[in-house]
Amino acid sequence: MTNRRQFLKGLAAASLAPVPGWSAVGAPDFMSAALFPDGSYRLAGLTATGDVTFTLPLPGRGHAAAAHPFYAQAVAFARRPGTFALVIDCATGAEFARLTAPKDHHFYGHGTFSADGTLLFTTENSFEAGQGMIGVWDAANSYARLGAFSSGGIGPHDMVLMPDGKTFAIANGGVETHPDTGRTKLNLPTMRPNLTYSNLDGTILEQVELPLPLHKNSIRHLALHQDGLIAFALQWQGDVAEHPPLVGLHRRGGPVRLLNAPEAQQAALQGYAGSIAFSPDGASVAITSPRGGTLHRFDVESGAFTDAFALEDVCGLGAGPSGLTFTTGTGQIGRLAGSGARITAQTGCQWDNHLVPVGVEI
Amino acid sequence: MLIRSFAVALLLPLAALAQDRRPILMDVTQSHILPGYARLTDATQTLRTTAQADCAPESAALRAAYSDAFDDWISVSHLRFGPSEVDDRAFSLVFWPDTKGFTPKALSRLITEADTAVQTSDAFAETSIAGRGFFALEQMLYDPAFAKLGSSDYRCGLIRAIATDINRNARAIDADWQGYAQTLTQPGEGSRYRSDDEAMQELFKALSTGLEFTADTRIGRPLGTFDRPRPNRAEARRSGRSLRHVELSLIALRDLALRLSVDHPGIATDLEAAFDRAIGRAQSLDDPDFSGVATPQGRIRIEALQQSILDIRTITATELGPTLGISAGFNSLDGD
Repeated sequence: MTNRRQFLKGLAAASLAPVPGWSAVGAPDFMSAALFPDGSYRLAGLTATGDVTFTLPLPGRGHAAAAHPFYAQAVAFARRPGTFALVIDCATGAEFARLTAPKDHHFYGHGTFSADGTLLFTTENSFEAGQGMIGVWDAANSYARLGAFSSGGIGPHDMVLMPDGKTFAIANGGVETHPDTGRTKLNLPTMRPNLTYSNLDGTILEQVELPLPLHKNSIRHLALHQDGLIAFALQWQGDVAEHPPLVGLHRRGGPVRLLNAPEAQQAALQGYAGSIAFSPDGASVAITSPRGGTLHRFDVESGAFTDAFALEDVCGLGAGPSGLTFTTGTGQIGRLAGSGARITAQTGCQWDNHLVPVGVEI
Repeated sequence: MLIRSFAVALLLPLAALAQDRRPILMDVTQSHILPGYARLTDATQTLRTTAQADCAPESAALRAAYSDAFDDWISVSHLRFGPSEVDDRAFSLVFWPDTKGFTPKALSRLITEADTAVQTSDAFAETSIAGRGFFALEQMLYDPAFAKLGSSDYRCGLIRAIATDINRNARAIDADWQGYAQTLTQPGEGSRYRSDDEAMQELFKALSTGLEFTADTRIGRPLGTFDRPRPNRAEARRSGRSLRHVELSLIALRDLALRLSVDHPGIATDLEAAFDRAIGRAQSLDDPDFSGVATPQGRIRIEALQQSILDIRTITATELGPTLGISAGFNSLDGD
């Protein structure tokens, strides 16, 4: 894989010189959408220390984005149920391509590239059938639509490419929606979320469900550690008086481990985890809860809850080079260092749900 | 001292100052919630005894009892927290929307297998929630697909079992509310609502999600799009109750909204006017099952009704919420 990647990098440098790499746009560690002080919605490149390396205008409020592995190209998704996504040249801000969801599909706001950067995969809702799909796009050919395959469930939200470069992990949130009824959840009493592993062609390799009493716990966002461990963040759709776990860990072929904070802290999450990330060394995993205004951290090895940090409207979370970086809807960018949370920058931007890692080694 | 008070005041949302929430919490509980669930218990008891006396689907008495009980559910259908959510009681009363057609499947299975679960209420309570509740009973009473399936004896037993199960769930919710009333009106540490503000938020959320459900789902689902209207997706269309549900839910939500805004007469006036406009539009619309969504003329009127509910939502979100000190952040409000 390294050789192939080196080769592709060389190719990019040699034959596609007009397409710049990420270093040309300030080598950001993350991308995030935000509402800027001037009222515009923009996509920004961020370093782990809180520097904004670039900003690009978006036509409306963004959600997540997918970063091309080599080129400074971002796929920016509208908030669901959006039907288009923009591929933006981050160096110039120019629209490189526009993805339009096929008829009867809409995007869920997440996607990922193949390891060589030639294919883009997007989570989609085939809303007349009420089935989750993964759309496939030809990144090497102006992002032409190539096809789609089943996500293995309803309401696929986040998806990640596993370290082998040949497998996806897909979070099928289980919640059925239809654009005619906005974000109304149509199937709460029967929802059954799952974590699906598939090949790049859609062949399902493994599926994991939570125990039946937790069937209203929507598997929504994913984090990946380089050793293949998946962490998932949950959103509870059941009775708010219950405070079920909102963090799960899973390794292919193994059982699910669900991690809980003590009752008082768990209750503060209000059943909602917005983002999840591993620390760079993989020793800890953290979730953010904007509704609870809190960030929870756990020890991966023991599964023990280690600390909670009170941070108003915190949501974006990602593994930076030297620790976990977080953003808030109140403009803060900060870092978890040792046992403390340090605010590294106070910006005028309202940072949106997610910090998308850029240029992560696969 | 003066300076200190000033500094503290700056840290609090202005509207949240000096609001005693207890009278509103008491009033909504005693005059809005408890009577609503008591009426539902009574009406479902009548439904149950009527079904025992006469289980013929076309029976006028049975259909009237069904209609009355369903009316009383719709009038509390926005109060989806606490006792209604225990053991999926509310979902067992109303399994809708049914995007995958689980209700007809569940009913067909019960009938064709002559499942003996209908013989005891405990056993029936263990069957699929899709085959129970008001929407299952509607299909048994109004859908020709179930008029001839299986034996008439079995269908009769099934209708009685569903009616009994509806009453059982209504009574369970009502009984739990007798204790939950205190939970909601006396918040504190260790309670489900740690503060009066949290209890108020629950009621405000019931209002805003109730409006959202009526506008987006009760109306939005049959509206579909101009190119693809969905009259068959209207709520309780078989019994011609779709529009009635919109009207009844708006009347109940108006009552809640006016109680929540009682300390703010200006907002109460705005809300009342907006509700009256929407309810007036519903009452002047002669389209009980929303089949008019398929015609341009019909759509315009139904869209106008939907718009009038969106107007209420705007007042609720921009005037009432902030005044009650209920606001949400960029991400905490959005969710994804």
